[in-house]
Amino acid sequence: MREMRIAAVADIHLGEDLRGHYRKKIEGIERRADVLLVGGDLTRHGTISEARVVAEELSGLPIPVVAVLGNHDYHSDRNEEIVDLLRDAGITVLDDEGAVVPIDGVRLGVAGGKGFGGGFAGKCASEFGEPETKAFVRHTKEIAERWRRALKELDADHKIVLSHYSPVKDTLMGEPPEIYPFLGSYMLAEAADAEGADLFIHGHAHAGTEKGVTPGGIRVRNVALPVIKHAYTVYCLNGDHC
Amino acid sequence: METPHYVAARVQRALAEDDRTTELGIRVDVRGEEVYLRGEVSCDERRHQIENVAREATPGLRVHNEITLVEVREPGEEEHL
Repeated sequence: MREMRIAAVADIHLGEDLRGHYRKKIEGIERRADVLLVGGDLTRHGTISEARVVAEELSGLPIPVVAVLGNHDYHSDRNEEIVDLLRDAGITVLDDEGAVVPIDGVRLGVAGGKGFGGGFAGKCASEFGEPETKAFVRHTKEIAERWRRALKELDADHKIVLSHYSPVKDTLMGEPPEIYPFLGSYMLAEAADAEGADLFIHGHAHAGTEKGVTPGGIRVRNVALPVIKHAYTVYCLNGDHC
Repeated sequence: METPHYVAARVQRALAEDDRTTELGIRVDVRGEEVYLRGEVSCDERRHQIENVAREATPGLRVHNEITLVEVREPGEEEHL
């Protein structure tokens, strides 16, 4: 089977002030990658005008673009409209679901969504006590369950989980430990480990580190722009040469 | 004088919640009457806006803007998994 070149980035935080800047950096991406995955925080405030800039910067590329939203993209309560706007621009937006991207006869399955927090095994919140706490934890639990189903249903040669929030602590190294519960949840890793995946891509942790692994052995990569410091990073699956 | 700890918390909240900034990743340290802002942003305008919001939240204190600009580089080497 042919190798698959996955370009990934997150936390591009586009707005009027950055119009045209990111696009310049991804020109020619088709020579380096087969698909571009964008792990949320596409905008700063989640406004429609910012989402239009995102659509302009990411649409019309010669390779498929798959994205999820991040917490910033929810800030103005326009998240559903943003999803529609990006889909109209030809971008595949995953909202706790999966999609198969055919690339030269190879089926790349991508499942995921925004994700959410809660913390990591041994130091995490539980569905107990006040309704606000229970709602917080339940939100992540429900997301993880939807991802598990989406991964299971994906009929693909390679599977990738695309998220905004982190599934592990490894890639949060550099962030203050006190805020880990707001940066991710072990439940996201648990869902991926249960169904299996080749790679788990996330963003959100600007001060974190790039590389980690889930307890079940899935490679995790934090591609937040301030972490990778490049317009995107390319990961090659199933092949020694890209 | 207000406790530096609370001043830092107020600035951090302002930077996160003010529509001009919505920045969650800026570190704020307060030592006496000096306020230090550290972190990375992607353009000069955002760096200035953060300083403006921090100044408004800390009247009478001196704000030191030590935020750096992240330069988005061309993609580097790929990783084989």
